[in-house]
Amino acid sequence: MNNKKTLFIDCSEAAYCCDKKQYNEASLPEKLKMLLHLVFCKRCRKYSSHNNRLTELMEKSNIKTCTEDEKKVWKEGIKKELTDK
Amino acid sequence: MSINKIDPNKWVDKYSDYLFNFTIVRVNDREVAHDLISETFLAGLKSMKNFKGEATERTWLISILKRKIIDHYRKTNSRKGKAEIKIQYNDDSNEGDWLEENAPDRFDKTAEDVMENEELGIAILECMEHLTEKQAKIFKMKTIDGFETEAICNEFDITPSNLWVIIHRARTTLAQCLEKNWF
Repeated sequence: MNNKKTLFIDCSEAAYCCDKKQYNEASLPEKLKMLLHLVFCKRCRKYSSHNNRLTELMEKSNIKTCTEDEKKVWKEGIKKELTDK
Repeated sequence: MSINKIDPNKWVDKYSDYLFNFTIVRVNDREVAHDLISETFLAGLKSMKNFKGEATERTWLISILKRKIIDHYRKTNSRKGKAEIKIQYNDDSNEGDWLEENAPDRFDKTAEDVMENEELGIAILECMEHLTEKQAKIFKMKTIDGFETEAICNEFDITPSNLWVIIHRARTTLAQCLEKNWF
C-alpha cells in the first residue's frame, strides 16, 4: 500500500472530503484521511469547524424553497401583466 | 448613492425563496403565502414607476409584501369577528371554559427560539445573494431540498467534481457572510 499517496491528502482534497461529509457522502477512508489532515493543518481545521457550523445553521433555520410549479405561476402572472400593459 | 434598477423578469428567480420564507413564518399556510406573493408581484408591477431606486429591489418588494400580510390579517380577523364565540377566560373564581387555554407552552421551544430561527433563515437567504445564480440554485437543491448528487449533475449537465467545487465555493461564501453574527 502506498501510504504517502493514500494517507496524506492536500488542503483541497481535505476540503472536498469535508464538504462531502456535510451531506453524509464521505466514505470512511475519506473521513479518516481528512481527520489526519486536520491534525496538522490549522487552516483546514478552521474551515472544517465553519463548515460544520454552517450545516448546523442550515438545519436550524428551517428554510423552505418554492417549487418550480409555484415559480412558474408567478412568472406567468408577471409576464401576463407586463404584456397587458 | 448608487441607484438600484428594477427588472420584474428576474423577480421570481431572485427573490421568491426570500419572500416565501418571510411570508410562511407569518401566515403559516403555503397556499396563502403563495397568493400573497402573487399579489405582491402584481402590486409591484403596478407601482413600478414609483420605485425611486433608493432601496434595493428586495427591500422594496418586502415593504409591499408586509402590507399584503397586514391586509391578510385584517381580513381574517374581520371574518373571525363575525363568528366569534365568547370564551370565559379564567379569573380567580373559575378555571375558564377551555382547559387548553391553560396548557403550558412547549418548554423545549421558546418564542425566542422561533424568532431566532426566523432571523437566521432570513440572514442565510440574504447571504445567498452573494452567490452566483447557478451556485445558489445548486446549493439550495443539495442542501435544502436534499437532492442526490447524481440528480443535480444530470439536471445541470455537470460532473460530480464540478458540483463539489460549486458547493465548496457556495459554502465558503456563506460561511464568510454569516461569520460575523452567527458563528
